Amino acid sequence: MSLRHLTQLTAAMLFAGTTIGVATSHATEGLDAAGRCVGDQNDDGTVTINELIVGVNNALDGCAYQPVTINFRAAVGSESFACGSTYNGIGTTGATIEPSDFRFYVSDVRLVTADGTEVAVQLDQDGIWQLDDVALLDFENKDAPCTNGTTQTNGTVRGRVPMGEYTGLRFALGVPPDKNHQDASVAQSPLNLTGMFWSWQDGYKFVRIDTANDQLRIHVGSTGCVYGEPGQVSGCARPNRAEIRLAPFDASSNTVVADLAALLADSDITANQPATPPGCMASPDDQDCAPMLRNLGLHFPEGLPNFVTQKFFRVE
Amino acid sequence: MTHAPSRVLVIVGTVVAVLGTATAGSAADRYLWNLPPGFPTPRVPADNPMSREKAVLGRFLFYDTRLSGNQTQSCASCHLQALAFTDGLPQGVGSTGEVHPRSSMSLTNVAYNATQTWANPLLLTLEQQALIPMFGEFPVELGLSGMEDELLRRLAADARYRRLFGEAFPAANPPAAVGTIVRGLASFIRTLISGTAPYDRWVQGVDESALSASAMRGGRLFFSEQLECFHCHGGFNFAASTAFEGKPFDEAPFHNNGLYNIDATGAYPPDNTGVHGITGKDADMGAFRAPTLRNIALTAPYMHDGSIATLDEVIDHYAAGGRTIADGPYAGVGHDNPHKSGFVRGFTLTPQDRQDLLTFLHSLTDVDFVTTPHLSNPFRPVACVGDCNYDATVTVNELVAAVGVGLSSATLATCFVADRSADGEVTIDELVTATGAALNGCPP
Repeated sequence: MSLRHLTQLTAAMLFAGTTIGVATSHATEGLDAAGRCVGDQNDDGTVTINELIVGVNNALDGCAYQPVTINFRAAVGSESFACGSTYNGIGTTGATIEPSDFRFYVSDVRLVTADGTEVAVQLDQDGIWQLDDVALLDFENKDAPCTNGTTQTNGTVRGRVPMGEYTGLRFALGVPPDKNHQDASVAQSPLNLTGMFWSWQDGYKFVRIDTANDQLRIHVGSTGCVYGEPGQVSGCARPNRAEIRLAPFDASSNTVVADLAALLADSDITANQPATPPGCMASPDDQDCAPMLRNLGLHFPEGLPNFVTQKFFRVE
Repeated sequence: MTHAPSRVLVIVGTVVAVLGTATAGSAADRYLWNLPPGFPTPRVPADNPMSREKAVLGRFLFYDTRLSGNQTQSCASCHLQALAFTDGLPQGVGSTGEVHPRSSMSLTNVAYNATQTWANPLLLTLEQQALIPMFGEFPVELGLSGMEDELLRRLAADARYRRLFGEAFPAANPPAAVGTIVRGLASFIRTLISGTAPYDRWVQGVDESALSASAMRGGRLFFSEQLECFHCHGGFNFAASTAFEGKPFDEAPFHNNGLYNIDATGAYPPDNTGVHGITGKDADMGAFRAPTLRNIALTAPYMHDGSIATLDEVIDHYAAGGRTIADGPYAGVGHDNPHKSGFVRGFTLTPQDRQDLLTFLHSLTDVDFVTTPHLSNPFRPVACVGDCNYDATVTVNELVAAVGVGLSSATLATCFVADRSADGEVTIDELVTATGAALNGCPP
């Protein structure tokens, strides 16, 4: 029997048969600054044997978090994306494009254990790219024709997870509902970039990919949003917030590739439905959106997640 | 100069002494709206209470071409005071030449709108709305998307803006930011209040002759169940979609008025479907907000897409209960649009009725609103230094205000016309000029 198991057993024996309640005569002893019972991880007013064992493990191993960096790369087929480059063989007609923007928000980032348990990645709060559980991935550097963008770029999501073995990666492609309808004019970075505002839909562009000369624009965000209380969005008919599931994925050796060629693989980008924007602004009436949103991992036109169909992201 | 310099200095000195006993206006003072009689107080977002400082800052921003990406357009390029803050075009044209699918809206009394723009139930405030012409990309209007850093650099290079922002937003750090720009713009736009038309003088009982007999007859037609105009264009603002302080319920109606009925399905041109463009719901096809009819004679052409040239033709449209387009891609009988408002049923008018109705609509034209210098372009050269209230005289009170601005005991917004050099300061030279105007009158 290892030292670890011995200690766990000792702890369990010590407290076996005893429920440590907070509502005892110990007054405020044992409460933390927030008035919660120390060791009561699920805040149900009791400290259970399991909670004690977790605490003992932490005492032995240290609070067992590990840093994690998830690397992303923007690509167009087999080549990396770069402002000013042109790419051939795009879509069903093998067209040529010159991308001029390549940005997207991710949120609710999770690693997945071998048994399928999702573990949230706590994002580092860097004041620039990551805010609470949202991060902006930004692959354009403002070089022509990406003049709408920023010189700074970001290709990583950084945070920490509990020590463990993880074999998969999941995240939402977009800004979470509780941040999507805020006052963008005073929002914190990275939700303060006017190029990502989608003010007419009271939200943000979750994905922004443009091409030079207005050949194609892909702006995807929630649509059909409605107010419950005045000014408070209660929901969106078409959330357009894809759930991305990638496995196997090992953050230490793999990279998530966002591939514009894969996104456009089923589109004829030389044609455009009349009286609609070139590309896709997530309109449910624009049939040009159908193959693109499907490849982003969305049902069209419902805008609900369908991770089975997504092709935009792959692991390398 | 007809007076000795020593005399000028004595007067300036007197003014300074007077100032010592005068209490400088505080930005925290309750904002004085100066509303027309019968007008309720506009509702203002809790995080952007009105102040003179914000309204003056917003007035500069509204007329400033630095607020477009290529510095060719300002808000005022599509919202001209002389046209009740419209542009006379069927559809707006942005700073890059892109044609907007919709017509530039009048800014008359938009402080009272329950929702902003033509057809968006999500845009409740002018602060939200301002982001769209600035940063919207489909279509490009001012074309500032992704250029916020450049915009702030442009404004920061201007000493007058540094003072205006600092005094309008003393707690903001930095004072000039996207959030304060839209708050300043919204504050100015809330001051675009029109309520001194002949109709108002008649309603208020101050001038019984303000409405002709023809206008009175037209008014009765307007408010009749025969024509039904007032259902969508009623109330003090001649608009049903209205919100203000003390009104507990928000009504934000949108209406289909039978302008199109493509393929008899009720469809509107696909790039301009009204509220449907936001919600995607069939029932919202062709639904637009009925704007105020104040100053309507100045805001031709009409409808959300500028597709009706004259008021006379607008009356034709409503008399027919919808528009019939005989051929072309938008052909259809608007009268039969399944989504059409029940109030657009059609009516018949005698030629005299029609003339009376037009006369009534013209009585809603507020000449003061479209000519007052208080709402005009503040970048124009100062006509009379120190004439803070534009009445072509400089009084001792105005000199006191100018000195206060010079000493920074009053904000620049209290009398920016004392700052002829536009550097954000009122210098001795400028005070001398203002004093000269006080003594000898404003330059002709």
